[in-house]
Amino acid sequence: MRRESRQKIRETLVSFPSLFWLSLFFIVPTLFVFAIALKPANPYGGIASGWTWDNLRSLVNPNYLVVAWRTLWISVLSAAVCIVLATPIGYYLARVTARWKSFFLMLIIVPFWTNFLIRIFAWKILLHPEGAIKKVLAFSGLIGPQTSLLYNAGAVVLVTVYTFLPFTILPIYAAAEKFDFQLLEAARDLGAKRLQAFARIFLPGIRRGLITAVLFVFIPALGSYVIPDIVGGPSGEMIGNKIAQRVFVDRNLPQASALSVVLILSVLAPLVTVLALQRKREKPESLL
Amino acid sequence: MSEFLEFRNVSKRFGPIQAVNGVSLGIKKGEFFSLLGPSGCGKTTMLRLAAGFEHPDAGGVILDGEDITDLPPNKRKVNTIFQSYALFPHLTVWENIAFGLRVAKRTKRDIDTEVEAMLRLIRMGDQAHKKPDQLSGGQKQRVAIARALINKPRVLLLDEPLAALDLKLRQRMLIELDMIHDQVGITFLYVTHDQGEAMSLSDRIAVMDSGRIEQVGSPAEIYETPRTSFVAAFIGDTNFLEGEVTGLVESEYCQVKIADIPGVICFNDKSMKPGNPVYLSIRPEKIHISRDRPEESRLRNIVPAVVEDMIYLGSTTKYWVRTHGLRVQVLRQHFRFFLDEKPIRWNDDVWIWWHGDDGFMLDRYRAVDEHLVTLPPRKVGEPEDNDEKP
Amino acid sequence: MRRSRFPFFVTMAVLFFFYLPILILIVNSFNASRFESGWQGFSLIWYKRLFHEPEIWRAAKNSLLIAASATVVSLVIGTTAAIALHRFARSRLQRFHFGLVYTPLVVPEILMGISLLMLFVAAGVELGLFTIFLAHVTFCISFVAMTVLARLQDFDESIVEAAQDLGAGWWATTRRVLLPMLLPGLIAGGLLAFTLSIDDFVITFFVAGPGSTTLPIRVYSMIKYGSPPLINALSTILLVLTFTAVAASQRLSRSRH
Repeated sequence: MRRESRQKIRETLVSFPSLFWLSLFFIVPTLFVFAIALKPANPYGGIASGWTWDNLRSLVNPNYLVVAWRTLWISVLSAAVCIVLATPIGYYLARVTARWKSFFLMLIIVPFWTNFLIRIFAWKILLHPEGAIKKVLAFSGLIGPQTSLLYNAGAVVLVTVYTFLPFTILPIYAAAEKFDFQLLEAARDLGAKRLQAFARIFLPGIRRGLITAVLFVFIPALGSYVIPDIVGGPSGEMIGNKIAQRVFVDRNLPQASALSVVLILSVLAPLVTVLALQRKREKPESLL
Repeated sequence: MSEFLEFRNVSKRFGPIQAVNGVSLGIKKGEFFSLLGPSGCGKTTMLRLAAGFEHPDAGGVILDGEDITDLPPNKRKVNTIFQSYALFPHLTVWENIAFGLRVAKRTKRDIDTEVEAMLRLIRMGDQAHKKPDQLSGGQKQRVAIARALINKPRVLLLDEPLAALDLKLRQRMLIELDMIHDQVGITFLYVTHDQGEAMSLSDRIAVMDSGRIEQVGSPAEIYETPRTSFVAAFIGDTNFLEGEVTGLVESEYCQVKIADIPGVICFNDKSMKPGNPVYLSIRPEKIHISRDRPEESRLRNIVPAVVEDMIYLGSTTKYWVRTHGLRVQVLRQHFRFFLDEKPIRWNDDVWIWWHGDDGFMLDRYRAVDEHLVTLPPRKVGEPEDNDEKP
Repeated sequence: MRRSRFPFFVTMAVLFFFYLPILILIVNSFNASRFESGWQGFSLIWYKRLFHEPEIWRAAKNSLLIAASATVVSLVIGTTAAIALHRFARSRLQRFHFGLVYTPLVVPEILMGISLLMLFVAAGVELGLFTIFLAHVTFCISFVAMTVLARLQDFDESIVEAAQDLGAGWWATTRRVLLPMLLPGLIAGGLLAFTLSIDDFVITFFVAGPGSTTLPIRVYSMIKYGSPPLINALSTILLVLTFTAVAASQRLSRSRH
């Protein structure tokens, strides 16, 4: 029917700018990464001709496996801590009056408006062996004088949580806003204790917000580069560091690509799950 | 009067749902015409087909002789009052009303004059500078009406405009709408699920169910001579009595056997013959009830009954009585001071009677329509009289 | 029902956790001591030094230039994307489109950085401010699109129908109704894009050439190799600037009502 084809043309025209740009600058580069992972490295820091499996084979290296494992548990732990902290906050914000809501939201967002490098740097200072926190903790006997708070995986988790906590709070808060709190009253009325009502009624009720929140921490954390670079030290290295090393230090782009392929694949798994969940609904819903 | 707005055999499907199924309808010029029906019957789709927001899969829409089926909404000379009013939130009352004229690129002087006139019509001249979020529900509706009428549409389409208002406001707006229709004189196509609105405002009503028209007629025709059990049960209350014609009485009446009540007299407007099955619809207010047996009369049907349930409503009382295994609803108006009488009580033996003219034969009866009639709550565990199909 | 105070305490604790490092930074920027070990008196010396750093001014200029241009371009592309996603919501093309727009939001920055680097290397494009601009537009589109889409979904559809009903064609509807109502969403999206662009480090780091620095890249090299007190001073200035900007925009949006 003429009407339908006119609609189709209009749809294609309106979608064209973003489809074109994102295909060219997002899809195509990703394909390039996959392609270059299969090419040998030029000794002068470029890409040689021909094809090889060498880059992928070199991935099966105990060093890489250690780093991969560390990346995984740091990301999981950070996501877990973020969720545990963000859920009561989202709950509290949703129940508070409108004026306080915008006040607290501003308070939470303002640090986010500062440059994130600077915030990581601030932690570097705070966790410094000569810094105040170390002194306080050592004085009260909670840690030994030799324990370093900096340059280890623990510091990476701390700073990762710090960096991504606002991204976790916002989706949980957004979902809590839409939650009908009378359901909790109903649960209490039927005999549930506060914690039971929270676990059985509230958490499932904000399920979508929780999933979004986990994604917004876990996936960026997997690809973390700057945080382990500044506060991680050698024992806090993650895949991101290794990729950057291959690019800037070793000038080995194919190896870097191979590592990136691994990262891409490990990021795809949770992503595909979320998009499959989206498909169950008819319209794509904004997650912001 | 010829048909001014015509739907010719229109159909519209949304996915698996056939919203409108081969409907033909003609609306006369200047009429106040209502589409009445439950949610999902297709009435809103019909309105949107007239407005141009939906395109029919089959059939056409004709306005004043011109086929507008393929015209987009902005080119049709019809305007819509939306259920949510859809006032532009970033424009003032004045700018909202002026919108259609501005888009049509009328001169500033014309626009000023006409907007002022509209503001006078809806009596909101002193609120012209306000934004929609500063207005009450009734005020928003008046602005929506002004915004539509200023374009002098050939037909005004109204989509359940009173649904969002509370009772008192709705009653006031009903009167206003009536007044505006009388003053302005254009054709109104009004969509509602509320029978009270439809009956009080309309010149004619089309009752719709599941994408089809059940009946078209004046409010009185619809009420007193319903063609189907759906129409009889959707509007007001009624009793459905199933029977078989057993004989003819005089030239215009017949005798019907209902359950084991012999010889029920009924007006035979469908020219039924003995042996034909028949379904009668008798409205509760047409049936009388008392403790004493009434006088016999040629065309009176008198039956003994037992009172099972009742609801006192002030000016009236609804009774549900059982007779010969049937459950009958009776509505009784209290003409005299109620407290002086000895009231009829539960389990009392009573007599009910009705005139042979007051039962009406249905063209079509469906058991499922019974659930539209109000029944009193039954005791927990007791089975229903009618089979309710989900 | 007696409300548990637990969520309140967690909120307060986390807010304290959020602001602690920032407060330390601000305090230390006025610390005359070069090392953070002790307070050696109030001093503005680091701010003075900062003003005489030409590198920083150049980096700031580059950042602003890129952020402004990237915001404009990503606003246009992102808004058209949001309109397409909303208007044609159920088609298969839009489902793919949505995935395409949504994915950059959750992909780690390092992947975007390295893939864009590979693109530019393979295409033989010289790395510089232009490549940074291209990269920034790419990730900003998604944020703008999501912000505008959220606003569109709160939209009362019948308002657009009302405009058509009153005679407005496609362009008149867009100009007189759609865009004015979308304006807050567009401003929010634009602000978001601008902030992200100014702030971005990882992606910029990968696609920047040797001669082109942006403010974050400058800050990074200062952190790794440079003078810490200068960073404190720079941070404090940036903080004050952003705080003022946010407060101003809040004031503006409140005065509209």
